[in-house]
Amino acid sequence: MERSTVSRRLVLISLLAMAMIVVPAVTSLPSGISGVKDTGCNCHGTEASPSVTASISGLPETYNASETYAVTVSFTGGPSTDGNANLGGFNLWASDGTLATLDSSAQLWSPNEASHTTEGNDQRSWNLEWIAPDSGVDVEFILHTNSVNGNEGDSGSSGDEWDRAQTTVLGFGPNVLPDADPFKVLATLIIISTVLLSIIVLYVFYRNNPDGFEWARFAPWITEWLTSTDHKKIGTLYFVQGLFFLGVGGIMALMIRVQLSSPGNDFITQEYYNQFFTLHGTTMIFLAAMPLIAGFANWIVPLQIGAPDLAFPRLNALSFWLQPVAALLIFTGVFSGAGADTGWTGYAPYVVSENTHAGVSMWAAGQIMLVASSTLTGINFLTTIAVMRSPGMGWFQMPLFTWSILVANLMLFLSIPAFGVGLIQVYLDRTIGTGFYDVAAGGDPLLWSHLFWYFGHPEVYVVIVPAFGVISEVIATSARRSIFGYKSMVYAMAGIGLVSFIVYGHHMFTSGMSPTLRFVTMLTTMLVAVPTGIKIFNWLKTMHGGSLVYRTHTLWTLGFLVTFTLGGISGMFFPSMAMDVHLHETYFVVAHFHYVLVGGTVFGFFAAIYYWYPKMTGRMLDERLGVLHFLTAFISYNALFWPMHRLGVVGMIRRTHTYYITTDDIQALPEWAADWNMLISMSAFLFFASNLLLVVNMIKSLVRGEKAPADPWGGWSFEWMTSSPPPTPSFDPHNLPMLKDANEHVANEPGRLGQMFRRLMVSDDAPEEGSH
Amino acid sequence: MSKTIMGKDAYWMNFFGLMLLTLIEVAAVGTDLGPTAEGFDMTERQLTLWILTIIAIPKFMMIAAIFMHLWGENDSGILTLTALFPAFFIIIMVLFIGLTHPEAATGLPAWCRPGTYGL
Amino acid sequence: MSDDYGHDDHPSPWGPHDWGHGAPHNSFAPLILSIGVGLFLLMVGGLFTFGEFDGRYLPMVFVALAVIAAAIVVWWRQDMSFDGSYEPRARGVPFKNIQIRKVGVWVFLMSEMMIFSSLFSTYMRYRQGIPRCDTIFESGDWVEGVAVNCFEPASQLIASSWWHIAPGAINTFALIISSFTIVQALRWAHKPVGSVDEDVRRKRIYRYLGATWCLATLFLTLKMIEWFIGFHVPEIGFLGIHEHEIHSLYSEGYLINNDHYQAHHYIDEATGAHMVANIQVSASLFYVTTGTHGLHVFGGIIGLSYLTYKAWTGAYNPQSAVSIEYFGLYWHFVDLVWVLVFPFFYLY
Repeated sequence: MERSTVSRRLVLISLLAMAMIVVPAVTSLPSGISGVKDTGCNCHGTEASPSVTASISGLPETYNASETYAVTVSFTGGPSTDGNANLGGFNLWASDGTLATLDSSAQLWSPNEASHTTEGNDQRSWNLEWIAPDSGVDVEFILHTNSVNGNEGDSGSSGDEWDRAQTTVLGFGPNVLPDADPFKVLATLIIISTVLLSIIVLYVFYRNNPDGFEWARFAPWITEWLTSTDHKKIGTLYFVQGLFFLGVGGIMALMIRVQLSSPGNDFITQEYYNQFFTLHGTTMIFLAAMPLIAGFANWIVPLQIGAPDLAFPRLNALSFWLQPVAALLIFTGVFSGAGADTGWTGYAPYVVSENTHAGVSMWAAGQIMLVASSTLTGINFLTTIAVMRSPGMGWFQMPLFTWSILVANLMLFLSIPAFGVGLIQVYLDRTIGTGFYDVAAGGDPLLWSHLFWYFGHPEVYVVIVPAFGVISEVIATSARRSIFGYKSMVYAMAGIGLVSFIVYGHHMFTSGMSPTLRFVTMLTTMLVAVPTGIKIFNWLKTMHGGSLVYRTHTLWTLGFLVTFTLGGISGMFFPSMAMDVHLHETYFVVAHFHYVLVGGTVFGFFAAIYYWYPKMTGRMLDERLGVLHFLTAFISYNALFWPMHRLGVVGMIRRTHTYYITTDDIQALPEWAADWNMLISMSAFLFFASNLLLVVNMIKSLVRGEKAPADPWGGWSFEWMTSSPPPTPSFDPHNLPMLKDANEHVANEPGRLGQMFRRLMVSDDAPEEGSH
Repeated sequence: MSKTIMGKDAYWMNFFGLMLLTLIEVAAVGTDLGPTAEGFDMTERQLTLWILTIIAIPKFMMIAAIFMHLWGENDSGILTLTALFPAFFIIIMVLFIGLTHPEAATGLPAWCRPGTYGL
Repeated sequence: MSDDYGHDDHPSPWGPHDWGHGAPHNSFAPLILSIGVGLFLLMVGGLFTFGEFDGRYLPMVFVALAVIAAAIVVWWRQDMSFDGSYEPRARGVPFKNIQIRKVGVWVFLMSEMMIFSSLFSTYMRYRQGIPRCDTIFESGDWVEGVAVNCFEPASQLIASSWWHIAPGAINTFALIISSFTIVQALRWAHKPVGSVDEDVRRKRIYRYLGATWCLATLFLTLKMIEWFIGFHVPEIGFLGIHEHEIHSLYSEGYLINNDHYQAHHYIDEATGAHMVANIQVSASLFYVTTGTHGLHVFGGIIGLSYLTYKAWTGAYNPQSAVSIEYFGLYWHFVDLVWVLVFPFFYLY
């Protein structure tokens, strides 16, 4: 071995084992065979033969720890007769303990698996040793024996017959626990989490005012947080929830990456992989990205438009509180090992199949609540932005972040009812037994895909568009000039919002949907690149005309520009149908959407955190830690997702719990795929660890950060005019700020279409009705 | 609040109109329209569907315009626009979800099925 | 809590709220409501599993409903003191001077439109994609004893006779009348102070709202009769009506889990052979779409209970009349949906 890296050795070891599993037909008879414990000697015939009898002797009923037992495996019957060139072979697999050979008639494939050798293929019984484990668990043995007729033709496998024997040796220790009652597990977890949560809450309460600590103040303090309708408090709650679930989703991703770090790994079983994979997607989109957006929107939008609060503060509180309860429902199953295992897309008909875990019902129920939450959020923000802009602030004087929240909420608000209806159909199918997706009754699985992606595609823009808003704000402030092409930015966002409803079919190119629709969505998907490109060029032009100040949020913004553009470019491969058919089920897609979701949304929000944290808490973040965070995260992030493009192109399948490599060009992935996967997994850990720097930074600055001025970065939108942190209500309702645009010019006069719309609107000089 | 239709109170007139249209709907379903339908060269069911759809449209507009105050008030214009805002998205949904059926390749027109690429 | 502008305001999060100081700053209702909804969905998931009923969860379902009810009560306690003096209006185009709540209601209705569009899209897709049962029956392309997948619209049963259609038709009229009564209540609330006697106003408003409540309840009652109970037509000699039973959809076997639906009109008279059909999809569509509409009516009943009670206390006057208008917008929308649901699910 020239390259003695860890990953190289792993590759070789795995390669040996996997090559056997994947291609059992190639390495057949004389030399023994591995990896047949589930399939049997199927190259000698698909079924076990009744005329052969396999047996294991020498095993105790209950073993003692670390004791060595002599084991004899043998068979009788079948075509094997004395005088044949070969008599037979075997494969023995033990779930625990260590097997050992006594002579050259048998060989070990692993400590758990043994078979005959070339020398040992002319006998009918073999002697082995088994060293018992010291764990005390029950050990299962699976034996396959093959009785051969010794012919040469047809690779020597025709006419042979085989049998399977299975036996269990009881452990001395306490037997494996019976399956836990899910409700007990859930109750235990709820109690544990409640205790942990209480401790944290108490600590925060204490830190809040260490000198004036007094128990009598606790009840009002906690009630204030539980009942508050203040947009800033709710924003903070969203923010905490979003970051918490970002961590939870990240840990799930790490589990997935450990599993995928080497081929054929069994760190987590397929069963658990599916649950983690499902919940990783659902958590990251619905419980991390969306609350983070809602958190920033809650905090910043009223401040930016000069409103004292949102239009419906109590509904706002309801939208928040639905989320943690929904999160509990979504995670219900996973506590008892029966979490949702459908993928975050929950494709029908599997999602309504009785083979799925019970947790799928609650996964759907939790998302129904999230739909309700998003709908309420939508009502609130659309109304607030439409009606509560401060005097003098027209539509085209709104800051771009507010615009982005408006566009995102419009998309979300109009698309999410389709998802809600689909989820209700799934929930009803799984509970009262309706037949919406029951294929046997004529149900149409494609309907779910349609309803899901009618929502799902606008949804992915919902999570990226607010990041566009953040980037526009940050880049303008950092470049010390107004954003280049403000109006084109607004039209580009609105265009993305409009087109997003027509393009969703590109998620379903391989599903067999209407060909006409495929054609339409293919063309419109390509169209998305136009408004997105306009935005990218506007950002570049803003920097070009300004003089950039390099703060941490500026670095994240520059990072965003690079990674999001790369993600956008890889996205342009999918609208082309022929290309999509090849790439659809591969890691190329994983690479693409992580480039836009992590490199786009998450980077955007990191920029937002560094940008607005002083405003939200009144404390500055540590710039040195911030730069360190950016550098480590940016590098490890690219090492994490860039190789996935290559893996995808060579055909690494996504959504599955493992993969195999081989030297055979056709069968599976090339050998180097394992090296890349190992690199990806290591980068994943680095990326996760680097983000802990952000958490450390935030806590550190809360405890002893430098006091923030009202406008630390030199921004000029309304939020920088309030103190840091802002008062409550954010602006005095009787003395709202007034926007006077220094750049007011003729461009704000409406065109012909604008005049037509204006006639339908209530004009500015309409008489005031009543008082307020 | 004191709008009138033909000199009568708008709410009452609207109410009577709606009742009348609904009666026609029920009657259209209960009556044997078979012979009439043949005159239009369609089945009875198709004719019923046409009648029902055509009657549903004015009913819809009457409720929206008068009961929901989308007609003749200061803010009617912009609120009508607000109510019509989802129209585009509804059309997309009905076209893409409601009216596409999953026949996939067999549903293609003949000229783009395998074997006829030469045109 | 006192705010940073010196307004000293200490409303209880359990209500009633002092609306003179703007919208509520604190409320327990959102938290309790969320917990209630979550508990309800969790327990319904236990109550039914793929159509299997498990009664052990029933008490918890009622507990969940009680939690939801408690949350609504808290919400209403805060609202009960609302007298219309706090009614913020929009600033700037395009909604200038329109009440913010009114804009909010219209925005909410946008999402309702999308919900029903989704349901209708589902309906259209299946209606188009699955052949009708009577078409298949007439084509003779079926074998006795083997269920065929086909679409059986509920109208086959409902529109089969005047008696069958009666509950649906009465419901249509009930909804239209209730739309009318609620605008009448609004009109009375709007009459300028001094032009009517306040007690007459109070009585008119709560009676009109009460009538709306009754009509909404009638709607759901008739729906239950049509779905589950059925009714009995007595002998009326002089009209030539004979005594007979009108079966409910339930007893006709029009059910979401019926994969062996047998109807009297699918018997081949020549051979006496029965066609059996798997109608799960069509029945699901019917019950879920009309049921979603029914749930909206039920939500309306809950809202009307509050409005009627508040009207009974005499709280509605020209200043606070708009609350009735906002509820009315929702109520008319429910009526609008029925205008589409009735022909396409009951008649066609």
